[in-house]
Amino acid sequence: MQRASRLKRELQMLSTEPPPGITCWQTEERIDDLRAQIVGGSGTPYEGGLFSLEIKVPERYPFEPPKIRFLTPIYHPNIDNSGRICHDALKLPPKGAWKPSLNISTVLSSIHLLMAEPNPDDPLMADISSEFKYNKQLFMEKARKWTQEHAVQKNTGVMEGNKENTPDQKASSRKREALSAQQEAEEPAKKT
Amino acid sequence: MEGSDSLDQSGSDQPESQRRRQLDRLDREEAFYQFVNNLSDEDYRLMRDNNLLGTPGEVTEDELFNRLQQIKDGPEQQNNTPSAETGEDPVVQPESSEDPASGDSLLDWLNTVRRTGNTTRTGHRGNQSWRAVSQTNPNSGDFRFSLEISVNRNLAEQQAAAEGEQESPEESPEGQEVGANVEPQVPMETEVVEEPVVEELAVIVEPEPELEEVVSQEILGEPPSSPAAPPVQPPLSPSPRRGQRRARSRSPEPRRTRARTARSRSPLSLDQLDGLANLRQAHSSQGPNTATSAPPVPQVEGSSRTRQHVLSRQSTADSDVQPPRAVAELVPEAQNVESQEGEAAGGEGGGEGGAAGRRPPTIMLDLQVRRVRPGEYRQRDSIASRTRSRSQNSNNTFLYESERGGFRRTFSRSERAGVRTYVSTIRIPIRRISDAGLGEATSMALQSMIRQIMTGFGELGYLMDSDSDSSDSNRGANTPSDLGEALNNPDATPAAAPAADVDEPPVAAGVRARTVETDTVEGLATVPPASGGRARPRPPISLEEPSSLPFLRLAHFFLLNDDDEDQPQGLTKEQIDNLSMRNFGESDALKTCSVCITEYAEGNKLRKLPCSHEYHVHCIDRWLSENSTCPICRRAVLVSANRESVV
Repeated sequence: MQRASRLKRELQMLSTEPPPGITCWQTEERIDDLRAQIVGGSGTPYEGGLFSLEIKVPERYPFEPPKIRFLTPIYHPNIDNSGRICHDALKLPPKGAWKPSLNISTVLSSIHLLMAEPNPDDPLMADISSEFKYNKQLFMEKARKWTQEHAVQKNTGVMEGNKENTPDQKASSRKREALSAQQEAEEPAKKT
Repeated sequence: MEGSDSLDQSGSDQPESQRRRQLDRLDREEAFYQFVNNLSDEDYRLMRDNNLLGTPGEVTEDELFNRLQQIKDGPEQQNNTPSAETGEDPVVQPESSEDPASGDSLLDWLNTVRRTGNTTRTGHRGNQSWRAVSQTNPNSGDFRFSLEISVNRNLAEQQAAAEGEQESPEESPEGQEVGANVEPQVPMETEVVEEPVVEELAVIVEPEPELEEVVSQEILGEPPSSPAAPPVQPPLSPSPRRGQRRARSRSPEPRRTRARTARSRSPLSLDQLDGLANLRQAHSSQGPNTATSAPPVPQVEGSSRTRQHVLSRQSTADSDVQPPRAVAELVPEAQNVESQEGEAAGGEGGGEGGAAGRRPPTIMLDLQVRRVRPGEYRQRDSIASRTRSRSQNSNNTFLYESERGGFRRTFSRSERAGVRTYVSTIRIPIRRISDAGLGEATSMALQSMIRQIMTGFGELGYLMDSDSDSSDSNRGANTPSDLGEALNNPDATPAAAPAADVDEPPVAAGVRARTVETDTVEGLATVPPASGGRARPRPPISLEEPSSLPFLRLAHFFLLNDDDEDQPQGLTKEQIDNLSMRNFGESDALKTCSVCITEYAEGNKLRKLPCSHEYHVHCIDRWLSENSTCPICRRAVLVSANRESVV
């Protein structure tokens, strides 16, 4: 278990010098299940939102990348309805770009970056991606709307403690799924 | 979300114990590093290559030390054990042989075997004699295990006919013969030859053709279907030559058997068989089988045949299931199975009635374990493709490929010159296994292996179904369920479920056993009795008629490898060892290993990659075993071997 000692150090680093806009902590005593929050970058449609993420650290970490997903619904070409993130640093080579010299902090930072600069050429959500490419206006609007609905309102609750906030997240994620479904349904109508 | 839910709960449930565990772990990790630092290069390599290091914190320093000692002593001990034990009751042996393998994981087992070097064991029990040979190629790390079981079908028959005579001493001679047969095994390389495989575990199980049958056929005057030469092997089997050789060596025994059979031959009624079945069983378990007169009714033979098949399969299954003791256990279990099968056979016999089958009393299993190095998947493919191409060339071949759950399976069957060959190739992402490593996940890895195997068989069955005609309909049904069963209780597997699957393939004709098994297993008794009659020695072309085939070959490849896509491709040990290594000195500038984010301490062993980045040896070795790029700059560690590794 290289993981344990490494995580210990990483958590220390995360608490002493967290990357800007990012917080990360352990859930309970579990070392393999972390939570993180990313503040939506200014100038992005996620501005003002606080996005929660779940980080599962695999047994083989750091030889395998951490598994990270959004708990907070987010409207993003590279993040799907269940919060999964399409990001090469989260995958092993040769497909991905994970390497043991990366760490949770750097990965979270790169996710932060991904939020600011979606990669529509490697989309997880095809429709959002094409929207981002060809109708940015609409994309921005929707993303902002989602941010307002899901990421902003529970801002305070989240800050107070992850325990209380867990159910909240659950609810919101359920909501997210419902919402996205609904949105999918609406989508065709709009297009036509 | 549910996931997070449960996690939270469990987290709060035992924070204390967890914390303690973590602390322990950290302590052990420290000890681990210390231990590694103090290892000599040789020892380090030894342990690493045998996967004895595990992951830091996993085991205590003492345990590590023990492992080191063990592996150092290992070779000698092993060598002692290997001596052939002829004539011993196989059942007994298993226990004795179990000791070496303490771990549960396949890797453990493989390592054990590997360390063991070449060994041969023989023994016999009841009407069966067996010989197990394990071979390790020190250079490649390839491992081959072969098991021969010869079954004197006669005994069954004989027993059936005359139970009183069981005592007759057939065993000793047979056992000896078997032992004598020890053939110079062709190194796994035969199989692998073309490929520059570096270290791998490839498991190939191939039941070998038995001459006996052939002989018997001829003697009997049955229409011999291009008998003696097991030409079929070439197509599918990795080491064709081997098979032939073996067959030859074997011939003496078979002949003898044959004669006996002939002698003993008398018409036996199905009813008798059934009644006798139980007896038979008992006898077989007792061990002494006699050459006594046996009324070799075709049916009987058919049943016995079936049984054999079962055995072979079964043994395979066993081996898979319990890797660690594979060698020892395989044999015994198979035998047990056999005895069990005996019953079944009896039952079958009744059902089959008309089936005429003379089957080879010998079953050969070749198990090859090979680890396919990440870069080599092409080679792996070559195995498969070779198989494929061969099979395609031959007249009667079937190829079945599937990809499920991340495993890629190839199954093919061919038939020629009276030999039917089954080849199943399963690729298992090595990481599933290595994940388990020596530790916790072991059981999981094992399970996946087992599942793999079972599934493989299932497919076998599937194949059979697809190509064999009528009788097989139920088979399909059986297979899945059987698999299911097998999966559920791997341990229990041997007897019932797998067995059913096992026999089926061989029996394609619908003759027999299958039925029985069906009943046993599920009560699906679609009996294909009628077809039995037609099972006749027919030339290769008729796939449908299994009975016509004197030889049956099953080849099973387990290619443990990294997945082509997601799985990274790593370096070989040799390649890793070629990278420079040094001890850390205080004056060095770079002080932290970026893999473990730990600062180097005086005396730490560092490995320096061509790009000048350095890491702890144990940290980087592990990464490089699965990847080929520098963890910092991602430059390919091996320029020449760049292939697609550069991301």
